Amino acid sequence: MRGKDVQLRDVVMRFGSFTAVQKTNLTIEAGEFFSILGPSGCGKTTILRMVSGFMEPTEGSILIGGDDMRGLGPAKRPTALIFQNLALFPLMSNWENVAFGLEARGIDKTARRAKAYELLSMVGLEGHEEKTPAELSGGQKQRVAIARALAVEPAVLLLDEPLSALDLKLRQHMRAELKEIQNRTGVTFIFITHDQGEALTMSDRIAVMKAGVVEQVDTVDNIYANPKTPFVATFVGENNVLEGKVTRADAEYAAIETPYGEVRGLNQDALTAGDRAMLFVRPERTALVNGVIPENHFEAAFERRDLEGAYVNLFFRGSAGPIIVHQPNIGMHGHLDGNTRVGFNARDALVMRAGEVDND
Amino acid sequence: MTDLLRSYGRGLSWIFVSLTAFWILVLIVLPQGFMLETSLWDINRDDQLGMKIDRAYSDLGLLEYDVTAAAEADKPAIQAKIDALQSEIADLESQETDPPREYGIQNYTKMSSLHFMIFVKSIVYALMVTALALVVCYPIAFAIAKVAPPQRAALMLLGLVIPYAINELLRVYAWLMILDYQGVINSVLMWLGMVEFADKSWIPFLEYSGSVFVALIYAYVLFMIFPIYNTVDTLDRNQLEAAKDLGASTFKIHWRIVIPHAKPGIAVGCIMTFMLSVGSYSVPQIMTRGKSGDWFSQLIYRQFFEAQSWNVGAAYSFSLVLVCLAFILIMMKVFKVGIRDIAK
Ligand SMILES: Nc1ncnc2c1ncn2[C@@H]1O[C@H](COP(=O)(O)OP(=O)(O)OP(=O)(O)O)[C@@H](O)[C@H]1O
Ligand SMILES: [Mg+2]
Repeated sequence: MRGKDVQLRDVVMRFGSFTAVQKTNLTIEAGEFFSILGPSGCGKTTILRMVSGFMEPTEGSILIGGDDMRGLGPAKRPTALIFQNLALFPLMSNWENVAFGLEARGIDKTARRAKAYELLSMVGLEGHEEKTPAELSGGQKQRVAIARALAVEPAVLLLDEPLSALDLKLRQHMRAELKEIQNRTGVTFIFITHDQGEALTMSDRIAVMKAGVVEQVDTVDNIYANPKTPFVATFVGENNVLEGKVTRADAEYAAIETPYGEVRGLNQDALTAGDRAMLFVRPERTALVNGVIPENHFEAAFERRDLEGAYVNLFFRGSAGPIIVHQPNIGMHGHLDGNTRVGFNARDALVMRAGEVDND
Repeated sequence: MTDLLRSYGRGLSWIFVSLTAFWILVLIVLPQGFMLETSLWDINRDDQLGMKIDRAYSDLGLLEYDVTAAAEADKPAIQAKIDALQSEIADLESQETDPPREYGIQNYTKMSSLHFMIFVKSIVYALMVTALALVVCYPIAFAIAKVAPPQRAALMLLGLVIPYAINELLRVYAWLMILDYQGVINSVLMWLGMVEFADKSWIPFLEYSGSVFVALIYAYVLFMIFPIYNTVDTLDRNQLEAAKDLGASTFKIHWRIVIPHAKPGIAVGCIMTFMLSVGSYSVPQIMTRGKSGDWFSQLIYRQFFEAQSWNVGAAYSFSLVLVCLAFILIMMKVFKVGIRDIAK
């Protein structure tokens, strides 16, 4: 099996007067693990359904392996879709489920049975071939669905939030497994999720969507380290936010006016004085001030602390809103109460044009 | 039972159980039991009975006269004869008012070959009606449940239900008017110049058994459509899409996914349509007006109300019940569904 690349060229999808997907250009490389990440209702499923052939885009075109897919139904495209609820066939045994695509292609029973058994053993389900999906656990059903999709040897596997129904432990396990299968088969994976942690752990690249618009397409590291918009900065991982007008700016840094006074960060949008801006700094780049004094620092009232095993989250409230500090749990946070000084370095903070943030 | 007790407590459980028992007893066991009992006997009426009684009375009169005229010595002998005759009369009279029943299966075995032919024909026709109704209804039910957008589906359902708000007889009469000699279709044909009323060259649709078919299907489609619609409706649309995505043809999707899922509904629809059409009285009665062969239900009616032989009528109708039971069992076997699935 070999993956193929997928291109969306000026794709727009409208339902009546409602635009579910605004003009989008995307290129997904062959053999890549690509995630589409975004909150509920932002158009992720719509994109997936256009790629798989259940819908035609209102405008633009979709190319798979360089071929224009317009007019080809789901059966004719080199894609296979794994549904959010898996949509296994409950009245068939597991091997029949896996073999269904081969049955549809008229392959004889012994051959398709052999292939189904092989695929089921690949996903670790030996001995479950003759059972029905109802007799399997959630994670096992998941694997049947993957085997069923792989049976037709797709070049592109489309996964619509397939892990959302599983509990946390199983979800983490299946992430590793999916990634493994993707490495082994070389098939292009387009994975949809609204769970940013899931997207970060599995993907090569991520597209972050908001309300029908792709806000940023980038590698996992870049999405996390260099978010391009306030939405991406707040949707992917946690971020402390400060908002204010730019007071001074040069090519590298910009300073904004906040209740704490002037605060500086990297000027990534080439802002100039007077622009409305937001400054983002990750909780793990924010620290309690003792000894070395960072460039930006201010007083904040300590509220509470959450232990997360290897890390502790310290919650503060300053005059401009809440601040989170993320610290390794090395047993030196002493006792905190009343006002504490927190701070961060300017090169760890991003200043960008003010915009909509993800607030949840 | 323990489940019932646990979920509803003693009082409610008692009410449920007794209501169910009442239902089974009064609405199923009693009438069917009565029918079965009636079918298992007949009265062998003695044609000579009236004459015998008359003769006994005249003998009695003579003897009574003899008694008054006879010598004292002979009187006891004659009196004994009178007593014997009186008890014979009482016996004969009781036979007349309450004739003896002969139990046996004679009512079932003495069906004439003509009646048996009608019996078989009715069953075959009802099977064909069921098959035709299934062929017509499955696509409609599927279209309403899965293809049509919700609003259109609701309209289609409404359109199907509205005719059923009209009395069954009126619905059948509507078909009568359409298919009659000077009915709608023939009128159209005449207008097209293909038939002529004046020389009676109309097409006698009503004399074909096809007309009964059409009317039966029309009368009972809903009983086929609704169970199928109900089961198809519960099918997850994603399963259809998954099958399509895996490259299955429309036929394959129906054969492997939709029909297996809809089996219980198909079985129920077939059972209802079959039972209703094999036992239908009004539809064949109205549509044929006696011009083409009898339907078995008409025969039963005649046994009861024209030939006055309730016992034979009961035997006929109980045979029909047996056929229906057999049909239910066969359907359950064929579709591999249990009572439980059907009850759902
Ligand atoms: N067939 C349709 N007709 C009309 N509107 C639709 C249709 N399908 C989707 N939409 C709308 O398009 C928008 C995007 O839907 P989509 O299913 O792509 O969201 P999503 O990102 O997959 O959300 P979720 O995470 O909740 O699955 C939604 O506002 C939805 O209401
Ligand atoms: Mg979705």
